[in-house]
Amino acid sequence: MSWNDILSLLRISLHAMVPIVLTAVGEIIGETAGLFNIGLEGILLISAFGGALGAEIGGPVVGLAIGMGIGAVISFVFALISTYGKGTQMVTGIGINLFAMGFVAFGLIALGAPGFRDVPKVAEVAKWSTPMGAMSPMIIVALVMPFVIYWFLKRTRAGLILKAVGETPEAADVAGININIVRILAATAGGVLAGLAGAYMSVAWMGLVTKGLSAGRGFIALACVVFSGLNPLLALLGGFIFGLFQALAEWIKTLPSKPIPSQFVSMLPYIVTLLVVSGAIGRVRFPKALGEPYKRE
Amino acid sequence: MTQGNSYYLRAEGITKIYSDGTVALKEATVEIHTHEIIGLLGENGAGKTTFTKILSGLLPPTKGRVISPNGPVRFSSPREALDFGIGMVHQHFALVGTFTAAENVALSHKRPFSRIRLAKATERLEALMEESGLHVPLDVPVEKLAVGEQQRVEILKVLSRDVDLLILDEPTSVLTPLEVDELFELLTKLKQAGTSLILITHKLKEVQSVTDRIVVLRHGELVGDVRTEGTTTDRLAQLMVGQAVEDGVDAVELRTDEIPIHARRAEPDRSAPSVLHVEGLSAKGNTGDTTVDGVSLDVYGGEIFGIAGVEGNGQTELVESLTGLRVPYEGIATINGENILGKDPRVIYRQGVAHIPEDRWELGLVLPFTLAENAILGVHQWEEFRGPLGFLKWPRINAHVRELMDRFEIRATGPGAPAKSLSGGNQQKLIVGRELAKDPAIVVASQPTRGLDIGAAQFIRNLLVEMRNKGRAILLVSADLDEVLALSDRIAIMYEGRFMAVCAPEELDRQKIGLLMGGAVVCEEEAT
Amino acid sequence: MTEQQGRSESRLLRGAHRTLTGLHPVFESLLAGVVGLLIGALLMHLYGFNPWKAYIALFRGAYAGSYEIASSISRAVPLILTALTFSICLRAGMFNIGAEGQLMVGAAAAVCVALFALPTGLAQIVGLLLAAVAGAIWSLVPAFLKLWRGVHEVISTIMFNWIGRWLVLYLTIYVLVDPARSERSLSIPLNARLPVLVRGTDLSYGIFVAVAFALLIYFVLWHTTTGYEVRAAGLNPSAARYGGIRSKRTTLLAFILGGMAAGLAGATIVMGLRPAYAIYGGGGLPQLTNLGFDGMAVAMVGRNHPIGILVSALFFGGLNAGGRVMQFYGSNPVPLEMVRIVEGAIVLAMSIPELVRIFPTVKREGERFIGLLRRASLKARKGGDSS
Repeated sequence: MSWNDILSLLRISLHAMVPIVLTAVGEIIGETAGLFNIGLEGILLISAFGGALGAEIGGPVVGLAIGMGIGAVISFVFALISTYGKGTQMVTGIGINLFAMGFVAFGLIALGAPGFRDVPKVAEVAKWSTPMGAMSPMIIVALVMPFVIYWFLKRTRAGLILKAVGETPEAADVAGININIVRILAATAGGVLAGLAGAYMSVAWMGLVTKGLSAGRGFIALACVVFSGLNPLLALLGGFIFGLFQALAEWIKTLPSKPIPSQFVSMLPYIVTLLVVSGAIGRVRFPKALGEPYKRE
Repeated sequence: MTQGNSYYLRAEGITKIYSDGTVALKEATVEIHTHEIIGLLGENGAGKTTFTKILSGLLPPTKGRVISPNGPVRFSSPREALDFGIGMVHQHFALVGTFTAAENVALSHKRPFSRIRLAKATERLEALMEESGLHVPLDVPVEKLAVGEQQRVEILKVLSRDVDLLILDEPTSVLTPLEVDELFELLTKLKQAGTSLILITHKLKEVQSVTDRIVVLRHGELVGDVRTEGTTTDRLAQLMVGQAVEDGVDAVELRTDEIPIHARRAEPDRSAPSVLHVEGLSAKGNTGDTTVDGVSLDVYGGEIFGIAGVEGNGQTELVESLTGLRVPYEGIATINGENILGKDPRVIYRQGVAHIPEDRWELGLVLPFTLAENAILGVHQWEEFRGPLGFLKWPRINAHVRELMDRFEIRATGPGAPAKSLSGGNQQKLIVGRELAKDPAIVVASQPTRGLDIGAAQFIRNLLVEMRNKGRAILLVSADLDEVLALSDRIAIMYEGRFMAVCAPEELDRQKIGLLMGGAVVCEEEAT
Repeated sequence: MTEQQGRSESRLLRGAHRTLTGLHPVFESLLAGVVGLLIGALLMHLYGFNPWKAYIALFRGAYAGSYEIASSISRAVPLILTALTFSICLRAGMFNIGAEGQLMVGAAAAVCVALFALPTGLAQIVGLLLAAVAGAIWSLVPAFLKLWRGVHEVISTIMFNWIGRWLVLYLTIYVLVDPARSERSLSIPLNARLPVLVRGTDLSYGIFVAVAFALLIYFVLWHTTTGYEVRAAGLNPSAARYGGIRSKRTTLLAFILGGMAAGLAGATIVMGLRPAYAIYGGGGLPQLTNLGFDGMAVAMVGRNHPIGILVSALFFGGLNAGGRVMQFYGSNPVPLEMVRIVEGAIVLAMSIPELVRIFPTVKREGERFIGLLRRASLKARKGGDSS
């Protein structure tokens, strides 16, 4: 394994890390407040699609912005259903996934591109050339965001309120906090990040949109959230690990003689997450009110 | 003794009627002064919590208003009340477990979305702790603190908002005697600084030791507003439980607004061994503290043994220990000689125990299930309902349910009706019917008529008496004193996990019972 | 009115009243279905398609002829089973969303039957058995993690979905691979396959497996003490405890049954799908993907009841089969993916319990009608049995 190989591996890992970390950190905000969104996969897909379209029309920045907007809207609706509508979060999330899969595939065909659609070079977020090769500036965003959110959750009053709402909504209610509004805001903020992640995939990383672009990354992000125990910094670590394993698996596939089957490498992040959650490695603790709609007695 | 006694707040004609028709409060009028500690005394259901919930903004009154020297005030949320200056320390703490004390206090602060400077908050808290004498570790997650310490955090939380009126709901129920003293010291200090305080309690000794005034509620009505000094414990007990009723030798009647039932007492056969025998039973509650403390009792066939007392004194845990829902750490309990402690409920039912649980929605019924499905809960494995390979004999079960509906006058559209479509009374009748149909050796009835209309309540009481007359043993636990007095052949008063006295109802008058329920020791010997 | 007449009339009214209130969940499902179809129509219109023509093509392709109906049913088969996985565990109070992984593992296990030489009849049974056991094991591990380590079953089943997928991919490419055709696994031998039921279609005997399992679950859940305990523990764990029911047992049983169902689903695909009767590795197990999630949609619309699931699966199977026809129909055909959109919209509509409230008139009128019936039945009853 040459030095070039290592650099190349690192480069791919960092790129793969971005959507996972951004989505995971966004979901951490929502889960801290008590909302569990299993529909991240769907959000990624639709924002990738919408972001690509937006970029074609108005350039890369517009594309990213539209992606964020889509993520915000979907999460907002999800939160609305889960709070005021008293909906079951699991079911809503699954609905979002199904809908997104159909919508994007359908949309691609309706726009005349059955398999995939290229994002014109002009519309892409330009990559910077570095010693490691062409790298997207979004990587920096992905590296910085966890710290920002970490600081936000730990040090601001808003972060305190989020945690209270997710952990013991009764106490927050008595303190006069509006549980539903807080949850909606939290989920929407998370949706912005997930939307950014989706748009990144089409506009800044791969340069195209397919109906399977998200490739399970939404679920990987969920695994990352679990792995991180709702700590954004650990989510960064987890995202990098997941990205690394993805890159490794791809690299192994290219080798003529494989030391380990690539499938086992791909499995590893999920196994590690399971071990973490089972308490074999460290103790993970989730907000007590996660996944439950709040009813005032 | 008070200084500068100006009126802080006046609650006028406060009435609260809940949506289901229950009258929780009837025209209560109380004047609250500064530099004053008021004790709010009463039994379960007297209206104490409702009154304070209205004052602290959690509930709106149906009628009446609250007036301050500047005019009437109206709160639509606890936060508004807090901004005005009224703060409440609840019986069940509203704390976020994973937060530290400092964070919990910061949560209730006024300005939204401003950055908390934790250091400053901690500073302020430490000053407050010095002032009030309440010391709590500030950087430990609250859930790791002892219950007494948690309560101190609750109080600090409220104090940090500079309240003028501080309400405490049964604060001493979770404290050790030493902590109680410390708490009362603090309350007195606050009073001297000008705060008004309301202390909700059912404990007579306490209310006399720290308050200036005592307000007594009974069945939603204000029956007494007296100065603490100069009021005897007897008088308090009398106010709390009502006038002494003429007890006949053979029959006891309930209060005049209910249909009288006659529970003619037969002498149970005490020569035969008791059906239920309990010795030295001790059990821990959910918080890890001992809630049942060395209880012993015997219930014979043909008698109703009643346990009276304010809820929360260990009755629930005692019943749970005897019905397989809790494992005590000490003691003996047998049914007809066979041990029942630590056993599965189903085994205990086989041994002849019927359990009418105190919470019919949590424990007694699976609400989405039909009547038929609920009617076999706990007995679904019995041969008459279960065929080969575990198949349920629905025709037999449905016939059984129809019998129950007939015998116990349960009004429903049929065995297939969902239990949640029944009224409370019919639901309870279903449970009672189910349990009595087991033909048990002993019926453990916990708050069997709670929340029921008069007709249903009387029906169930009559059933219990019927069972007694047939020679069964009945263990009745009820916070409704009239009910316990009318039905029981023998009574035990339970307070803080122990029996204060065990004797026949005739030997106690209501005052004595009131005293015992409030923890006053009246030299009674244990009558067996 | 004679007493006799009155009583039978009142019974009729009471029966009608009971049916209508009992049918309320069916109305919810129907409403959600309509909403889903409407949303699909809206999108089609926005993109320039003709929704009316498209839906006609869809329903024709789903139910118009015996071939079409057979296709719909064949697509319904795995859905019935994966829906049961979700529903059984939901009834036990748990969210088992691991049908994806359990199905894949089941399919791989069924393929193993190609490693033995077994006579016809026994071969099918062994294949099904292997699949069921594999699915059950894959479902049990998350169950154990929940009961002994407190791991939330949603997380663990999601993880196992992915671990299962990669495991089966590995097996398909390396272990169970067909030496002659490396893009797929070994083929199920001729005598181990589920015979085709309707010639020329994809409908195999797998339908019997699915329906039989559904009926089995129905009987177990509603007619045995064990099933009773499972349902009670799922609805009210405290009351179940009071009734002497141990929820650890019920949870385990539910996960075992659920895993078996998903495993069997995998088996029906691999053992019943023409022409190759094998697992294709390319593109990440395309025949086996998404059946778990679709099953959840089926389960929800079927109100988590085996009979409802059978009907709902037929509907969703019809959507899929019909979609395949719709995408070729007419001058401007609507792509197959529209079906997924409709599915997603239906599930979203179902996720809001208060959906009916969004149409207040519907609810109000419905309640008025039920009230009318109730009053009439009461009156009739009073008239009927006045003594």
